[in-house]
Amino acid sequence: MPRSATLPWLTLALLLTLQTHGFAKVNPSAARVNATVPPTAAENGMAEARLLEVYHLMANGRGREALALAAGVVRDHPNFQLAQLVYGDLLAARIRPVRTLGDVPAELATAGANALGELREESQKRVRSLREPPRAGTIPSQFLEIPQKTRHAIAVDASRSRLYLFENRPTGLVLIADYYTSVGKAGVSKTQQGDQRTPLGVYYITSNVNPRSLTDFYGPGALPINYPNMLDAKRGKTGSGIWLHGTPREQFSRPPQASDGCLVMANPDLVHIIQTVEVGSTPVVIAPQLQWVDPHSAKTESKPFDETLQAWRTAKVAGNLDRVMSFYTQDFNSYGKTLAQWSGVLRGELARAQGHDIELKDVSMLRWTDSADTMVVTFGEVLLGQRTGWTKRQYWTRQSGQWKIFFEGTL
Amino acid sequence: MKQVISQFMLSWRQIAIVALLSCSSAQADEYADVSQLVRAGKSSEALNRADQYLATQPKDPQMRFIKGVILRDTGKTNEAIATFTKLTEDYPELPEPYNNLAVLYAGQSQFDKARNALEMAIRTNPSYSTAHENLGDIYAKLASQAYNKALQLDNTNQAVPPKLALIREIFSTSLAKAPRPAATATGNTTAPTTVASAKPPASVAPTPLPTPPVAAPAPKPVVTAPVVPTPAPTPPVVSPPTATTADGAAVANVEAAVAAWARAWSARDVKAYLASYGKDFDTPGSMSRKAWEEERQQRIASKASITVKVDKLSVSINGTHAVAKFLQDYKAGGLAVSSHKTLDFTKVGDHWQIVKETVGN
Repeated sequence: MPRSATLPWLTLALLLTLQTHGFAKVNPSAARVNATVPPTAAENGMAEARLLEVYHLMANGRGREALALAAGVVRDHPNFQLAQLVYGDLLAARIRPVRTLGDVPAELATAGANALGELREESQKRVRSLREPPRAGTIPSQFLEIPQKTRHAIAVDASRSRLYLFENRPTGLVLIADYYTSVGKAGVSKTQQGDQRTPLGVYYITSNVNPRSLTDFYGPGALPINYPNMLDAKRGKTGSGIWLHGTPREQFSRPPQASDGCLVMANPDLVHIIQTVEVGSTPVVIAPQLQWVDPHSAKTESKPFDETLQAWRTAKVAGNLDRVMSFYTQDFNSYGKTLAQWSGVLRGELARAQGHDIELKDVSMLRWTDSADTMVVTFGEVLLGQRTGWTKRQYWTRQSGQWKIFFEGTL
Repeated sequence: MKQVISQFMLSWRQIAIVALLSCSSAQADEYADVSQLVRAGKSSEALNRADQYLATQPKDPQMRFIKGVILRDTGKTNEAIATFTKLTEDYPELPEPYNNLAVLYAGQSQFDKARNALEMAIRTNPSYSTAHENLGDIYAKLASQAYNKALQLDNTNQAVPPKLALIREIFSTSLAKAPRPAATATGNTTAPTTVASAKPPASVAPTPLPTPPVAAPAPKPVVTAPVVPTPAPTPPVVSPPTATTADGAAVANVEAAVAAWARAWSARDVKAYLASYGKDFDTPGSMSRKAWEEERQQRIASKASITVKVDKLSVSINGTHAVAKFLQDYKAGGLAVSSHKTLDFTKVGDHWQIVKETVGN
């Protein structure tokens, strides 16, 4: 992204205007809310949209309108520090030239140097995400296959401090909202307890924490994710309690790097997510940088793996334990069971199946590529003629061109 | 673009209204007719009509102003600039031509010139300057509050409200335009005094200010509707010779006293200036003589230069009492104020001393 060291403020503002995509025009009165009233999901994204409209007006030299709009934003969200900073600049611009975002008097710049830096970074992250939205119709490369049973999906681009919310329609994943989000104070790539980093990987929302059990610090709710997942565990990663949660009363949003590893969102945004997504089935991809791909190319990408998965199924149907065992890695682990112990489990499964065909229902494939290539597969395994089966999750890894299972378990 | 057009329409309506309110009906008809032509899109006709009128009334500031607006609307920017510039020279006390000059300069991206013009507009009336400075202080305070909230700093100064300058008198230029008896404001023309806003003196009356132009250092500062308020028509001046009962020598002495007072003020000779005022001088508001003298001392001494000119002086004598009415041209720094002034004198011994100072007619 082109950046000017001297005029990041103006540059950003000007670049904004060059964008062809428009921001949603926001009716300020519609977004108006008493700050003491708990945030409602209806306002999700509104404060940011209004702030961006302020930037837009500024970039067009419409300072007075920008000032009026900014006044409305800080009236409705007095705890929105970035909006306060912009509002301060617009007020100051009535009496002196404002050269940069947060052109605060020298003594304030000294006293609040950290906060100022963080707010500028927050502004930059928000502006960039809105200025460079993902190409319409594309999806993050991790979502190889999402079954219709899964209604929503979440992807986080840590480099942009952005969370993308998808709805899974019959036509495929559709981006329905995206929000600013903070990550860990020390950034991303969590490896151990207390490192103040946000994990990177493919996760699922595991529960919805009762808001009454939370202190104000977490805002109106929290959605924990399953860190450490099986890949993390295999790699010896430690730590726990990674949540999507909200902000305390005095802060509308937090700096881009603010948490102990959680994803922190503005309360209206979080409430909207809590009210939208399903616990258990909603995947949460957290990537250092998302790659946006055409859904068709995702399908193509998943094909070779899908063939391997079908080969595993066929081997099971054939009842050939050795062939089935060849799909598992030496260091396989299923909730503590070693490969040798797992062969016993498999033997039992094959005996019960008695050569009946096996159906894999609602297959979900999430691919995670870092130093290794990992596939997280979730499906219902149902014997033909039976109504129910197990919901299973497998973690596959690619070893010298071959996909192998290093974890398998029922959910 | 539609908005811009509607703003022009509004401005023409305003011109027409102002013209109707403030001028003789013949003049008002002329202004309204010209405005009507402009509204009908007949700019060249409007211009012809304005020129015809100006051929007989070449000084008429309202029509010259309207002409400037027509020139601007028809894209004759340089002619419009020339028209408004000339108006600022002939009527430096009118803020509106300066404002429109700023609009034109800003349209040419000559922001320094635009800023200068707006600053001049504000200086046409000390009340504008004060209001503008006060507005600046409020903006600064609001900005500071917003910054402190942004940076989440515990600033103890937050509780301290800004000290705004209170205007203690109504300045003559506004009064001259308003149908208001002069008695509502007494005192001499001084720069505003800074006092805590908590105790407004009784003498403060609401000032009938036209909207002061806002000087905004933002890149595109102005979309101000070109509105001209009533320009003071030819200043009504009492110029007939002194009252028949007056003793010629007494008149000459009072005239000399006025001249000496203006001279002392111009020379910033505070001692001589204060000596012009008698012991019974009616100080403005509820000020004590001492406080008033201190204020005058401070006001006069703080100026680098002061010029006070007395014009169209008329004196009436009634025994030991005299009333001097004149047009006072006051210049200090960038401030230039022209006002009607009345000084009431009482004769003490051989000296005529000022006992009352009134601004306005």
